[in-house]
Amino acid sequence: MILRRSVLAGALASTLVLAACGSTADSGAGGGTGAGGVKTDKGVTDSTITLGVMGDTSGVFKNLGAAINAGNQLWADDVNAAGGICGRQLKLEIVDHGYKADTAKTLYPQLEPKILGIVQLLGSPVLAALKQNLIDDNVTAAPASWSSQILNNPNIMMIGTTYDLEQVNGLAYLQQQGLIKDGDTIGAIYIDGEYGGNGLRGVQYYATKHNLKVQEAKTTSTDNDLTNIVTGLKGAGVKAIALTTTPGQTASALAANKALGLNVPVIGNNPTFDPALLKSPAAASLDKLYVAASSPPFSSKTPKAAQLATEYKAKYAGSPLNAGVDVGYVEGLVWQSVLTKACDNKDLSRAGVQTALKSLTSVKTDGLVAELDYSSPGSPPTRGVYIAKVDPAAEGGLTEVAPLFTAPEVADYKAPFQT
Amino acid sequence: MSDTITEAPPSVPRPVAAPKKRNWIKIAATVLLVLFLVALPILTGSQVAYLKVAQYILIGTVGGIGLTLLVGQAGQLSLAHPFFLLVGAVSYAVLAGDPAESPGLVGLGFPPLLAVIGAVVICGLVGLAFAPVAGRLRGIYLGVASLSLVFLGLWLGQSLELFTGGTSSGRPPPTFELFGFAFSTTTPAPTIAGVPIQKQQRLWYLFLVFALGAYFLARGAINSRIGRSWRAVRDNEAAATAMGVNVARVKAGAFTISSAFAGLAGVMTALWLDLVKPDENEFTGNYSLTVAIAFLAIVIIGGLGSVPGAVVGAIVVYGLQQFFLLGANQFGWFADAQFGGLSAVILSAFVYGAAVVLVVLFEPGGAAAIGRRLTSRFTPRKER
Repeated sequence: MILRRSVLAGALASTLVLAACGSTADSGAGGGTGAGGVKTDKGVTDSTITLGVMGDTSGVFKNLGAAINAGNQLWADDVNAAGGICGRQLKLEIVDHGYKADTAKTLYPQLEPKILGIVQLLGSPVLAALKQNLIDDNVTAAPASWSSQILNNPNIMMIGTTYDLEQVNGLAYLQQQGLIKDGDTIGAIYIDGEYGGNGLRGVQYYATKHNLKVQEAKTTSTDNDLTNIVTGLKGAGVKAIALTTTPGQTASALAANKALGLNVPVIGNNPTFDPALLKSPAAASLDKLYVAASSPPFSSKTPKAAQLATEYKAKYAGSPLNAGVDVGYVEGLVWQSVLTKACDNKDLSRAGVQTALKSLTSVKTDGLVAELDYSSPGSPPTRGVYIAKVDPAAEGGLTEVAPLFTAPEVADYKAPFQT
Repeated sequence: MSDTITEAPPSVPRPVAAPKKRNWIKIAATVLLVLFLVALPILTGSQVAYLKVAQYILIGTVGGIGLTLLVGQAGQLSLAHPFFLLVGAVSYAVLAGDPAESPGLVGLGFPPLLAVIGAVVICGLVGLAFAPVAGRLRGIYLGVASLSLVFLGLWLGQSLELFTGGTSSGRPPPTFELFGFAFSTTTPAPTIAGVPIQKQQRLWYLFLVFALGAYFLARGAINSRIGRSWRAVRDNEAAATAMGVNVARVKAGAFTISSAFAGLAGVMTALWLDLVKPDENEFTGNYSLTVAIAFLAIVIIGGLGSVPGAVVGAIVVYGLQQFFLLGANQFGWFADAQFGGLSAVILSAFVYGAAVVLVVLFEPGGAAAIGRRLTSRFTPRKER
């Protein structure tokens, strides 16, 4: 009893003492004008611009994450070799959150004061947890996550197109190839969550446009055997399957597709494929898989992508070959456009970055993604994709079949937060 | 499992008239510790990230205390803790949510303090509803049965989007407010010793109050009749019945109280993350099996049934990884771990795995037993 009372008294007393220490106004964010008459606040000095990378090199996406980080770094090196931006060299502060929202939540306050913006923010759970932080601190971030569901956050700088539009384009491609026709039944297997829900939204939109019947099948990302679902889809007489799943689930769905004699074409979102699948037992059944993605496949003939592939193999020998390097590099290229614009406006502050971003209507990225338009927040900045097909002979396992494909149906599609 | 965690062995009769000797060392140490905790936002200063870790440890502390009461004191193994965390977080968001601000979601618009209390009560009641199961099963069977609640939570979280906001985007929890004082960033902000007391500092004090409240409530329960009945049921149900303890009621009560603690930890999780979002699968996320195992590890590392032990366990399990990560970035530890190799995440996983194994092998009493041995060395033997 006595102990407890003394503790309480102590706590109260100390609180009072500390509270009496005064109450003054917060000294506002340190702003100023640096070299070249450019306005700056956080993350920018006269000689450097510091940008953050919140990636995943230890969690479930470590293969992809490592390649994206490498892409970011290749970009920063290229820029610095060419003299930097606005007379300043680029510096990347790289942290690894292991695809865990709680870890990212702790790392963010350490990173935030040091950076102007975030070149790469990987993972939808992480984005959801940091949404309010980005808004509060006015930090602009390029996500490595492509759901149109996050576009209600003005601080998100989407690079490329979104999962829903990947599916619309993918299905349109299948129809143009004569693999499906109006009135057919198609299957849609998706993970419950931001990723799967967004892909499904695209499938549903395309289905209403073309009078398709959609057999929906919901899974969680830990269900690794989709044989039951594919059996059900076979019973429903599907002519194609749309996947918004993990690579492991993709392998299972395609193995079942072949084993059950269904043999229909399968269209998957960008994250459904991982080159590692070609070493899995399902390798022989993967040939029915088409992948729709904002970025070109690793083996792309697009000159910039081919050049990046060479540089990546030289600098990061032995690292996994996947499209992450293109994703990371193009994130950088868009940042480069924004920073250059902000520099022209003489405002490299965080608010200046936002202003510059919204004024950009045609960002070109050497063909790594379609031309990007950031003038209407809420709408994906582009609607074109690369369509690739699984090909064990190609580096990275995918061969391009339709570079920068934009289906006519995508023009009318209204994203969730499009105004 | 048979050793009781009480200050003095119950066999020593206390003379009624003799004045109790105050343990000045212990009182001084406690006051110093509380002072340190109160001053922590000043010590961390602009390094808010470390304060964030400290807040996280307090979440683990509150949840861990709840579980150590149930597992250590009442002898019921439960893996359902993440489920109650989820119920607590969602209840808070629903009770305090402003329906105008979140269209399409249920929000009742209660004052946040009332919502916290409501969330804790709801969790207690949900725990009570599980009592018929908890009363019939023992040991590992109860553990497995309680595990089903985690899966139930996964399914409910995904399907009841009106309450949870769904797995896509979740819903933001309403800002905590007390008599008009918002626990968010404001200008101008009060300062203590030059450090502005903003959202994270305010949340720290809120969490500290929650954690101290949980700590002393738990200590009180253990040292009172309730705790004795828990231990009686744990050690021998037949003997407990013979002494007039209603076994079914005591078991139900223990589950209820433990769930209420977990509910509070759930509210804290929501406020800490600025987000209530059900998990996308059962293995990863804030209300997943991983969390169930983490809480069990807290209890084992701390020593079954020990409240201060749960604090130590929470520091090891909830704090280490985050701390390593921050240190890694600040001081450049593990700098060459870019593509595999020893990283902060891997090292902390080893530390906490090793801690569990070493405790089970060499000191089944956990940190609590180590602590007792250390303190007995510094305090003079009592004259009998």
